[in-house]
Amino acid sequence: MTEADPVIPVPPPTTSAPALRIAGLRKSFGDKIAVENLDLTVPSGSFYGLVGPNGAGKTTTLSMATGLLRPDAGTIEILGTDVWRDTVTAKSLVGVLSDGVALFDRLTGEQLVTYHGLLHGMDRETVAQRTADLLELLDLQEAGGILVVDYSAGMTKKIALASALVHAPRLLVLDEPFESVDPVSAANIRDLLAGYVRGGGTVIVSSHSMDLVQRMCDHVAVIGSGRLLAAGTTDEVRAGSTLEDRFVELVGGRHTTEGPAWLHTS
Amino acid sequence: MVAHLLRLRYRLLLNGFKRSTWALVSAVIGLAYGLLVLVGLIVGMIALSFSESELVWVVSVLGGGVAVLGWVIAPILLRGYDQSLSVAKLRVFPIAPQRLLVGLFVAGLLGVPGIVTVIAGLSTTIGWIGEPVALVAAPFAALLAVLTCVVASRAFESVGASLAAGRRYREIMSVAVFVPVLLLGPIIGLGLPALSNASADLPAIARIVSWSPLGAAWSIPGDLALGRPLEALAKTGIALATLALLVLAWRRSLTTLLATPPRSAAGGGRRKGLGPFSWYPATPTGAVAARTTVYWLRDPRYGGSLVTLPVLVVIAVFVSITGSDWFLAALGPVFAATFAITLCAEVAYDGTAFASHLSTGVSGAADRAGRVITLAIIAVPLVLVSTIVPLLVLDRAEQIPALLGIGFGLLLTGFGVSSIASARFLMPVPAAGESPFKTPPGSTFSAQLGMYAAWLIIFVLAIPELALGIAAIVTGSVVLGVIALVVGIALGTVLMIVGIRRGGALLERRGPELLASLTRARGA
Repeated sequence: MTEADPVIPVPPPTTSAPALRIAGLRKSFGDKIAVENLDLTVPSGSFYGLVGPNGAGKTTTLSMATGLLRPDAGTIEILGTDVWRDTVTAKSLVGVLSDGVALFDRLTGEQLVTYHGLLHGMDRETVAQRTADLLELLDLQEAGGILVVDYSAGMTKKIALASALVHAPRLLVLDEPFESVDPVSAANIRDLLAGYVRGGGTVIVSSHSMDLVQRMCDHVAVIGSGRLLAAGTTDEVRAGSTLEDRFVELVGGRHTTEGPAWLHTS
Repeated sequence: MVAHLLRLRYRLLLNGFKRSTWALVSAVIGLAYGLLVLVGLIVGMIALSFSESELVWVVSVLGGGVAVLGWVIAPILLRGYDQSLSVAKLRVFPIAPQRLLVGLFVAGLLGVPGIVTVIAGLSTTIGWIGEPVALVAAPFAALLAVLTCVVASRAFESVGASLAAGRRYREIMSVAVFVPVLLLGPIIGLGLPALSNASADLPAIARIVSWSPLGAAWSIPGDLALGRPLEALAKTGIALATLALLVLAWRRSLTTLLATPPRSAAGGGRRKGLGPFSWYPATPTGAVAARTTVYWLRDPRYGGSLVTLPVLVVIAVFVSITGSDWFLAALGPVFAATFAITLCAEVAYDGTAFASHLSTGVSGAADRAGRVITLAIIAVPLVLVSTIVPLLVLDRAEQIPALLGIGFGLLLTGFGVSSIASARFLMPVPAAGESPFKTPPGSTFSAQLGMYAAWLIIFVLAIPELALGIAAIVTGSVVLGVIALVVGIALGTVLMIVGIRRGGALLERRGPELLASLTRARGA
C-alpha cells in the first residue's frame, strides 16, 4: 500500500489561484497558425472580455481552455487545475457555451438543461430545481416544452447558457453569448452574469461588440492573429479612448475609403 | 443567366471531387456503369431493329414510360441529395421565375442523368431503321419525351418542396417513402413469375401506357410505323399538353417558392414534462440512455437504420414459401447481426452536439453504457421474437436455444465491438435534419470497409457460440443448444462489458480529436 501516493492528488482549489491561466499556448491547423504563444491570466472574480477580429483565434483559444480542443503546446489551468492533466476536475469547475457547435436539439429546452445537469452527475431534485430556476431567469418557461430545433437563434443561445450554468460552475466561458439575442434578453443575461460575478464567479466572454464589452467587463484582452495584443483592466487597455478606437488601433486594417463610386446613389 | 447556372452546377460538381478523392472514384465508377448501360441499350436497339415493329413499339413505350416515372420518383426519394441548385439558395438573387425556370431546366438536362437520358432516348431511333416515316419522327418524339422527363422531375420536386415545409412531415416522409422501395425486391421477385406468364399481355399494357402522359411521346414513331397516323397525332397532342401542364405547374410552384420565407416554423406540439428523462435513473448513464431514447423516437436517422428489418421479414417469408426455409429459421441471428453494428454510427449521429458530452466531462463508460442500454431495450425483445416465432411456426422448437444463443451472442458481442468502433471511427452519416437515406459526402469505400471489419470481428469473437449452436442444429441435440445459449449470453456479456470499458477509455482519450473530425465532417 503506497499511502503517500493518493490516487487523486487534487488540491482544493484556492481562491488565490487565477480563474484561468494560459501559458505558451500554441495551435495550428495544417500550415495555418491559429494561436501562437499566447499567455493570458484571468483573475478570479473578474468579468473578462475577449475581443478580436474574425479569425483571430478567440474560439480556438476558448475551445482549448475548456478541454474541447487539444493544444499543440502550452499549459492551461482553471483555478489551479491543469485542464489537460486532470480533465474531469477542471471540467466540473467550468461552464461552457461554445459557438458553432450543435446542441442536442431534438430535446425540449427543459430536457436539454436536465441532460446537462445529469451528465454532470447531479441528483434529480437539484437538477429539476435549477432547471426551473434557469428557465424562469432566462424567460424560457414558455419554451421549456418545445424542441430546441424549433427555437429562434436567440432562444438557442439562451438555452445553451442555461445548460452551461446548471452545474453551478466557478468559471463561465461564453463564446459569443449575445449574438442574435434580443436587447431585453441581453440585458437580463448581463444582469444574471453580473450577479454571478458578484457572488464570486468568474466570467469570460468573447464578443464583437466593443460597446458591450466596455460597459460590462472589468478586464479585457485583445487578440489578433493568434497573439495577445493587449490585456488588463478595461480602463488600462482603452487608455482614455474608447475600446472600439483602441481596438482598431491595435488590430489595424481599417480602410478609409468610402467604397466604390457606383455604390453612391446620388 | 442560363450559362451562369450551368457553370455553377459543373463547378460544384468539380469542387466536390476536389474535396474527396473517393467522390471522384465513385463518380468514375458510376460513369463507367452508365456508359455500360448505354452501350447495352444501343446494342439492344440495334438487335431490336431486326424484329417486328410491334415489338419495337412495345419496348419503347414501356421502357420510356419507366424512364419518365423514374425521373419523377428519383428526386422525391433522394430529396436533399442534389441541393446544388436548390431554389432556397437561389432565392436571394433577383432572378425572374421565367428565367430561373429556363436555367434550371437546362441545368437539369445537361446534368449526367439528363445526358444519359437524351442519348438513351435518341437510341430508340435506331429501332426504326427499317421504317422511314417512323425514323424521321423518332428523334423528335424522343426529344419531346426527354423534355417531359426533365420538366416533370423538376415540377414534382418543386411542388413537393412547397408542400413539404414542415419538419415533422419531412421526417416522416423521408422514412416512409423508403419502405416500398425496399420492398421492391420482393415485389419484383413475386411479380416477375406472374409477369413472365403474362408476357402476352404486354402489348395490351403498352397500349394503355401509350395513351397516358408517361408513354404518349414514346408511342408516336411506333404508331406511325404501324399505320396509325391519327393515333400518332392524338398522342402528340397528349404529349404536348402534358409538357405544357407540367411547365405551368412548375412555374407556379417556383413563383410561390421564390416568395416563401426559407423555413416556415414547424411549430410542433408542446411537450409536458421530461419524458424518458424521468424513466431512467438520474445518473450520467441514465441521462445518456434517456437522451438516446428521445432520439430513437424523434430522429428519423435512428429509426431509418431499422427499415431493413421488416424487409428482411418479407424476404424470409417469401423465400420460405418458394423454396427453403433456412432464412426464416435464422431470422433471429440475422436481426441480431443487423443490430450488432447499429451502434457504430452513434457518435457520428450526435454531430458537434457531442461537444456537450466532452465539456461536461461525462465518463466515457457512462456514454457507451447509456447508448447500449437504449439499443438493448429495442433489440433484445426483437431478437427474442424474431427467433422464437418463426421456429414455432416452422415447428422446430428444439432449435430455439441454439439459435437464441447465436443471436444473443452476436448481439452482445456487437454491443461491445461497436462501442469501441464508434469511439475510433466516424461513420459518415447524414446530418441531423437531413434525409436518413442521403448519402453523405465521402461515405463510400472506407466507411463500408470499417463496417464490414466490425462485422468480421464480431463473428470471429462469437465463434464459440456459433460453433456450438451450429453443432446443436446439425446433431439435433437440445443439450448442446442450451450450452450454446449459456455460452452465448455469458461470453457476449463479458465482451460487451470489456467493449464498454475499452470504448469508454478510448472515448475519453480521443474525445477532442473526435470532436475535431465531427466539426470537419460538417464543414464548419
